[in-house]
Amino acid sequence: MNMILVTREDFSVDEVLRELRSKEMGAIVTFVGVVRSHSEGREVDRIEIQVYEEMAKAELEAIRRDAIDRYGVEDVAIVHRYGSLKVSENIMMIAVGAGHRPEGFDACRYVLERIKESVPIWKKEITPEGNFWVEGEEHGRKG
Amino acid sequence: MNLSGSENVRVRVRYFASIRDRVGLEQEEVETPIGTTLSALYLTLKMAHDALEEWDRVLLAVNGEYMEPDHSLKEGDLVAVFPPVSGG
Repeated sequence: MNMILVTREDFSVDEVLRELRSKEMGAIVTFVGVVRSHSEGREVDRIEIQVYEEMAKAELEAIRRDAIDRYGVEDVAIVHRYGSLKVSENIMMIAVGAGHRPEGFDACRYVLERIKESVPIWKKEITPEGNFWVEGEEHGRKG
Repeated sequence: MNLSGSENVRVRVRYFASIRDRVGLEQEEVETPIGTTLSALYLTLKMAHDALEEWDRVLLAVNGEYMEPDHSLKEGDLVAVFPPVSGG
């Protein structure tokens, strides 16, 4: 597996970790985002995710490299799905392989916050009350 | 759309998410004078599409990279117009 994957299909957490793993790692910090059944007081039936795929892949790769350089971790894998997702399905995953846990946790959070700021992916919530695009608060890429 | 002028460049504009829904287009080709900046192009787009938001409510990318408002467009550029992102 490439360490960056943007896909309609579900993913296996185990498979991603197997690809990531190396002998230098003493800790692998994993984050999995899943579809919640409610949002701002509304029930959510499912979500639809739209992506600007070419740009999203390039941004994710830039974030991955930046996290490796900044925190000195061994490797980072990022998977993000698009399309129609039901409640409790996987949305995305970040796995950071590090020598030790502190830099692993820090790098994992950093990658997630950067994704929420700059990677061109959007969620639309499909609810009994109608469909609502979720829009981020952050504007543009942060250095 | 064609802004009259002796020398124009053609760029492709792609819309995403809520902006795509409001404009009612996935993409379009736009002709604009040589040297047009990204912010000037956006004003032209906004004149054609009432539904487009104010400049400070959108993100703009050229050929897959975020660009500053004063970036000059070239022939064949792919401009993306989208709302603040909500992945993750």
